[in-house]
Amino acid sequence: MASDEALLIETIIQVSAAILLSPLYQGIYEKLKAFVEGRRGPSFLQPYYDIFKLLKKEVVVTENSSFLFIYAPYVVFGIYLLISFLIPVVYPSPIYLTPTVDFLGGALLFSLASFLKLISSVESGSNFVALGVSRVLSFIFFSEATLITVFFGVALITGTNNPYVTLQYLTQDVSHYLQLDHVLITISFFMLWLFETGKLPTESPGLSEMGMIDDALLYEYSGKLLGILKWGSYVKQYLLGSVLLNVFLFPWLLQTGPLGALLDVFIMFLKWLLLILISVIINTTLAKLRLFKVQDFLAVSFILSIFSLIITVLIG
Amino acid sequence: MVNTQLLELISASIIVSALYIQGQAYFKPAIYAQAIQSALISVLAFYLGFALSLIDYVILGIIIVVLRSFIITYFLFRGLKAKPGIRESTRGVASELVVNLAFFFLAVFILYYFVLGRIGLTTEAGTATLTIFSFILFFQGLFLIVTRRSTVAQIIGFIEEENSIVLFGVLTVPIPFLIEVSIFLDVLGLVVITSLLTLQKLEHTRLEELMG
Amino acid sequence: MRHTLLEILLLTIPIIANIGFFNTKLLKALSLASSSLELIISLLLYFEIPVKGIFLIDNVTISFLLIVSSIYLLSVVYSLKYIEAEEIKGIVSEKLYYVLLNFFVASMIFSMIINDYGLMWVGVELTTVASALLITTEYSEISLEAAWRYIIIVSAGVTVALFSIILIYYEYHTLTVTSILSSQPKDSLIIKLAVALALIGFGTKVGVFPMYTWLPDAHSESPSPISALFSASLLPVAMYVLYRVYEIYPLTDLFVALPTLSIITASIILFKQWHIKRMFAYSTIENMNLALIGLATGQVFGAVILLLAHAFGKAAAFYSSGVIIKTFNEKKIDEINGLYRMRITSSSLLLSSMAVTGTPPFGTFVGEFLILKTLVQSGFIIEFILLVIFLALIFISINYNVSRMIFSRPKYDRLPKEPRLMSLVSLISSIVSLGIGIISIIWGVIG
Repeated sequence: MASDEALLIETIIQVSAAILLSPLYQGIYEKLKAFVEGRRGPSFLQPYYDIFKLLKKEVVVTENSSFLFIYAPYVVFGIYLLISFLIPVVYPSPIYLTPTVDFLGGALLFSLASFLKLISSVESGSNFVALGVSRVLSFIFFSEATLITVFFGVALITGTNNPYVTLQYLTQDVSHYLQLDHVLITISFFMLWLFETGKLPTESPGLSEMGMIDDALLYEYSGKLLGILKWGSYVKQYLLGSVLLNVFLFPWLLQTGPLGALLDVFIMFLKWLLLILISVIINTTLAKLRLFKVQDFLAVSFILSIFSLIITVLIG
Repeated sequence: MVNTQLLELISASIIVSALYIQGQAYFKPAIYAQAIQSALISVLAFYLGFALSLIDYVILGIIIVVLRSFIITYFLFRGLKAKPGIRESTRGVASELVVNLAFFFLAVFILYYFVLGRIGLTTEAGTATLTIFSFILFFQGLFLIVTRRSTVAQIIGFIEEENSIVLFGVLTVPIPFLIEVSIFLDVLGLVVITSLLTLQKLEHTRLEELMG
Repeated sequence: MRHTLLEILLLTIPIIANIGFFNTKLLKALSLASSSLELIISLLLYFEIPVKGIFLIDNVTISFLLIVSSIYLLSVVYSLKYIEAEEIKGIVSEKLYYVLLNFFVASMIFSMIINDYGLMWVGVELTTVASALLITTEYSEISLEAAWRYIIIVSAGVTVALFSIILIYYEYHTLTVTSILSSQPKDSLIIKLAVALALIGFGTKVGVFPMYTWLPDAHSESPSPISALFSASLLPVAMYVLYRVYEIYPLTDLFVALPTLSIITASIILFKQWHIKRMFAYSTIENMNLALIGLATGQVFGAVILLLAHAFGKAAAFYSSGVIIKTFNEKKIDEINGLYRMRITSSSLLLSSMAVTGTPPFGTFVGEFLILKTLVQSGFIIEFILLVIFLALIFISINYNVSRMIFSRPKYDRLPKEPRLMSLVSLISSIVSLGIGIISIIWGVIG
């Protein structure tokens, strides 16, 4: 058993890497996308600049908003912070606070965060935000279901709902990785990740109002609160992406021990480059789906996850 | 020895092809998907034939690929003659898929726990549990017939049902040739008639006179 | 080879008749000859039974064969006048009509006499292939729809029966009927499942509860001689196949419960029926399910009598409604009135409607009586009570409608012209049905 100090170091490294490095990956993604599109693009540190700038600015709040509008961003960020303790986003074995909840708990926390975000943005009373919320809600009933099913599926494959056990089980043997149910569930979760982080083919990020899904929620926020929410969504993207990488797509190569933890940060960086590359390729090859087709997209991912569940239960 | 994982993979792709057909509004890709589905079943038969060194399976595979993937596909296209790029107006792929899911999810679990789990099928290739795929495919076909109104989609649903039985046969016990071939020819006959009907009538709706 | 000569002739004669396809008159003559020969051969085969080998013909088979071949003859004679070249413009021409008709009968005979469960299935599916286009003979949007429903519902249903065939093969490693029936009965769940699946699968074609919806559509939209063949021959053939599977492992409870349910639903739908041929189609469902109950409870004689009498009676009913539809150009029961002025047609319609509803002394009454008696003896009391109630309901609704059509005041003074040959065929057919009843009663009294 590792000593308490080692555990503490590992914890600090995982959480700070998740919180501090997450904007970096967004920056790299934007830069690479710009490069592929033939633009020079902003610096890869641009998300940091944005956050710092926004944190310094004053907050404007509409008259009819309640306290929820002001405090929800902090709570949402706190939830993401909590999740970064729970799942293997950098370090491959349990750290402090990990035993608080299991995989399903993680999924529920994600749902809680998105629910809070929805409810607080409606508080602003803006018509456009209301439109955005109804839009998000008409998709989210699929995506949340898929998220939970995916975590169920993983739990059933290994017989426990601890993500760390899944990670170990997958790295034991290649045949575990190539199991049919795992492959299906990976595809399903990848599709979900594309939706949750607003990538093509579901959403074209940017300021075009017609195709906005997630950004429409932040429309009435400004200043510090906006900065926190943006940072929160970078963290969310990092968390989901790292789960995708570590538990589903590419579970190998992670080191243990305090030094290993430092090394893991670098390894995660490389893995993320891979994921960014994949999503850039998708971004440049696929066209955006029509808005109501996003449901179909999510339905497919939902069905794949359920199908994987059936295979796990019936064939094993 | 038979590699069960490979069988699983092929069977699962068969189901995925069925899901694809369910989500497809255009006829042309659906017909191609049907051909691929049959080809996948024949691949399964070939594989079992070589793994168990049984010539029966190999010949069965050849028959399937010729009759199902080529001839039936040809006749289906003939029925669509001069109507390329034609599609059926579907009522929401997402909802259809989810209802489909609920339907076959329930049906398969009921079948598994109340029927298959009790009768104890055993097969040479150890593929008894895999027969569940054939039932899933069967319900897919049934569901396709129920949800669609066009002749083409409905006949593809019927072919899916037939495919599910062939799959069931391949996974449990291959029945004698003479019968197998006649079954295929029967289905072919139905498809030919369908292609004649498709030329006349492409969509099916409720009719006042055929009620009650 | 001498032993199978007759059977092979039986199978091939309708197909050979099709060599006249280039000339309509020749084809008609050949079809007539083939149908008469079929009847003669079926009668001759009576002295050869039991036949076992490639073909299986026993007491039960021969009565079904007689039904098919005699209705074949009647339908061909009726078609000579009914199918007129100028009236049918669609997929099916007059020549194709006879070709398909002959193939249809050949496929029915094939599925009955073959000694192999797999090939029986093939035969039943072949009947669908052969008969689907016949429905569209009187070309219309509605008949196309009816044909399509027939194809898709029946073939999707019969597919279920193929599961049962595979399971039978899995258990016995053979599909020969005689060797399976003579082997030790197996009490395995797989066989039970196979028999139950066969009830759903072949039951689709017999007209058993969940999937009989194709039946009224196909019967009402096809030309009358084909409706008669459907109702009187095709359904019994499917029932024969089902009976052969049933013999492997008798699941009596299930085979009584589902048909009872079918009769109840059919009688409820029949209560408000507006279409003359659909009305008779629902009555077919009732009779078929009753016969199935008879076969299941072991009252084979009663079932055969019922089927025989019903075949002639129902054929007559469809023939006479064909005449009515042709002369009045009207299908709605409410719009048809004053039939009593067409002497032959109205008498045959009255006789046949009494025949299909089981009025004494028609053969159907004898059959129904025997079946219901056995049902009580086997201890199915609830089913018996339900059946009696709903059979009475069916009796009332059909006979009420028919007498309304015949005895009501005519709306128009124009005297309808009666096609002589067609009316005579239907009258003969209904009288045969009456004869069967009288003979069987006399036989029962003497024996």
